[in-house]
Amino acid sequence: MRRTFGQSLSLYGGVLVIALAIGLPFWWVLTGSIKLPKEIIQRVPTMVPHSFTLQHFEKLLQASDFPIYLFNSMVVALFSTAFTVLLALPAAYAFFRMEFPGRNALYKTILLAYAFPGVVVLIPLYGLFAKVGLIDSPVALVIVNVAFALPFSIWMMRSFLATVPREIEEAAIVDGAPTTTILVRILMPLIAPGIASVAIFAFISSWTEFLFASVLIVSDVRRTIPVGFAGIIGQYQIDWGLLLAGATAAIIPVVALFALVGRWFVAGLTDGAVK
Amino acid sequence: MMGPTRFLTIAGFAATLLAGTAYAEPVDLTVWHMEQPPHRVQRMKELLDEFNAAHPDIQVKQEPQSWGEVYAKAPAAFAAGNGPDLLFTIPDFTTVLKGINVVVPVDDLVKDLDSKHGFVEATLAPYKYDDHVWAVPAYNMAISLWYRNSVLKAAGVEVPKTWSEWQAAAEKLSTDGKSGIGLPANKQLYTDQTVYSFMVNSGAGDLYNDDGSIAFDKPETVKAYDFYSKLAKFSPADNSTWTWGEAEACFANSSCGMILQFGVINTYETQAEGDAADLGVAPVPHADDESASATISYSNAIMLTTKDEAKQNAAKVFLTWLLEPANYGRFLTMEPGLFLPVTNDGAKAESFWSDKTVTKYKSQVETMIANSQTGKLFGFTTGKVFPSIGAISAQNVIAETLQRVVVDGQSAADAARPGRRVCPKSPPNSGHAGERS
Repeated sequence: MRRTFGQSLSLYGGVLVIALAIGLPFWWVLTGSIKLPKEIIQRVPTMVPHSFTLQHFEKLLQASDFPIYLFNSMVVALFSTAFTVLLALPAAYAFFRMEFPGRNALYKTILLAYAFPGVVVLIPLYGLFAKVGLIDSPVALVIVNVAFALPFSIWMMRSFLATVPREIEEAAIVDGAPTTTILVRILMPLIAPGIASVAIFAFISSWTEFLFASVLIVSDVRRTIPVGFAGIIGQYQIDWGLLLAGATAAIIPVVALFALVGRWFVAGLTDGAVK
Repeated sequence: MMGPTRFLTIAGFAATLLAGTAYAEPVDLTVWHMEQPPHRVQRMKELLDEFNAAHPDIQVKQEPQSWGEVYAKAPAAFAAGNGPDLLFTIPDFTTVLKGINVVVPVDDLVKDLDSKHGFVEATLAPYKYDDHVWAVPAYNMAISLWYRNSVLKAAGVEVPKTWSEWQAAAEKLSTDGKSGIGLPANKQLYTDQTVYSFMVNSGAGDLYNDDGSIAFDKPETVKAYDFYSKLAKFSPADNSTWTWGEAEACFANSSCGMILQFGVINTYETQAEGDAADLGVAPVPHADDESASATISYSNAIMLTTKDEAKQNAAKVFLTWLLEPANYGRFLTMEPGLFLPVTNDGAKAESFWSDKTVTKYKSQVETMIANSQTGKLFGFTTGKVFPSIGAISAQNVIAETLQRVVVDGQSAADAARPGRRVCPKSPPNSGHAGERS
């Protein structure tokens, strides 16, 4: 069915409004990071920079611990992602294919855990990690990130597994393939977009996690970006240029990840959502 | 003559002592402070390196934290047995940690330091209760009125001293799309602070009655809210989202003729004109029927939070070293033009006044120091400290009440009433943390 001119106008107009609503703040942050301080705080913001400077990035990288925070975030996010995927895949397969008592109840319980606010378990977790000597350790953050990302990841992964025709698995079983072979050699390649989606979800969850990182990490050299950056900005006196440069630098790894596998992420979400 | 047995015993004892001295481990101290911006961390590092080099038997290390998290993090850390030995604080945070019994009184140390350096009483008072002193004041911050001399002159306005002069000035400065004054109306700490700086100037500085009940909807408080709402009409429309940074930016880009801030010098120097002669600072104007100005001040202090005697002694050595005028000025100028001295000789220290920013803005800093001497802090004015002050701070009750007036359009009298309900009377006996000594 062809769209009328009015419908097309409404459609593209709507898309434009949404694109501007999402894109303009990013544009303001990106361009602001290269403006001189006086221009950044002008009463009427300049959408196209009238000045150019890299002084904020210079200060960010040379006078602050931002590069250390960046490295820490990368390590924590990559390990969190890897463990989340490694655990979510077999767990989802077990919930999807294997028969065991209480399967449905356990599956629902896991989803319930996802809805649990992190702040409620903050203090008990602190005590627990203190007892095992994991305070101020990135291992603690990886454990927490995986624990909180896993329920939703299992749910996503299970939905992806449901899109694979049963006949493919049955053919592998007829050929004598054990469960692990079916999972690794048959299903994994077929749900690669789903794995990418879970990986991106786990990565972003870890990259932006603030609450636990702020409490479980004590020393400056082990801080991740959200916490370290919050400290750099200052409270009573804000260095707006530094803030914008930091925000720009912090989103680059996420944007790069999306550029590489973002297509799968979107496709994966829709594939997984519709059986 | 000494027998061989006796000689060997003494020699052995001496050798043991010498060996013990030679191989004694230094006392390690961990300091948690909330001065996270990189230049402050760097300045602290320089000072600690210097102290550690001069005191090989004591090694102090810093672990910068954030005010946003430390209220939850510190109690958890102490409960788990890995809290710091020294912890920076503000008065209400001290009541929180005192409540979990981790704060060590510092009466003797403060007495010694007071006799050597002379503490400004306003900085010490919020930490004196329950017959003890609970922290050593480190630096002070006080809100002042900031303006540009050239802007006031062009508008034919004198620096306001009373509320009626202030309102007239704000009205005159509100021209050409500019705001006469930038006042926040956010439900946030900055608004608590600015509103309280009105309250102390209308005789409503005491939040509590003697019995621990909240003295919130008294006429003086209502008057302060009422006047604040009148002045807020001359503020930018987005002031209900403001924190300190937005107000500073409004002043730096000349959109606001006046603001109330702890300090604007750094922003004015780096992001605005940087013309010291044009930057004006004055006490917060007072109600017409009051005789003098007062302000809100935050006395930032350092708590001793270790039960280990060796660490306590080492911490006292460190704090004594820090407040020596030769070192103290460099500590304060980790944030020049914001952190103010808490000692009389600190206010004269060469190490403070030789900082290039402080030198450039000398007259402004002198005014800030003078203003800070009249500082008060909500909940710490009556000689008693009540536990509910923690809830009042955490829930931003003062700012929330203002929002009812400025955003919801209620009358000041009506808005102050719910504020009273939010702050229940503290229970008798257990209700107060103690009387100030």
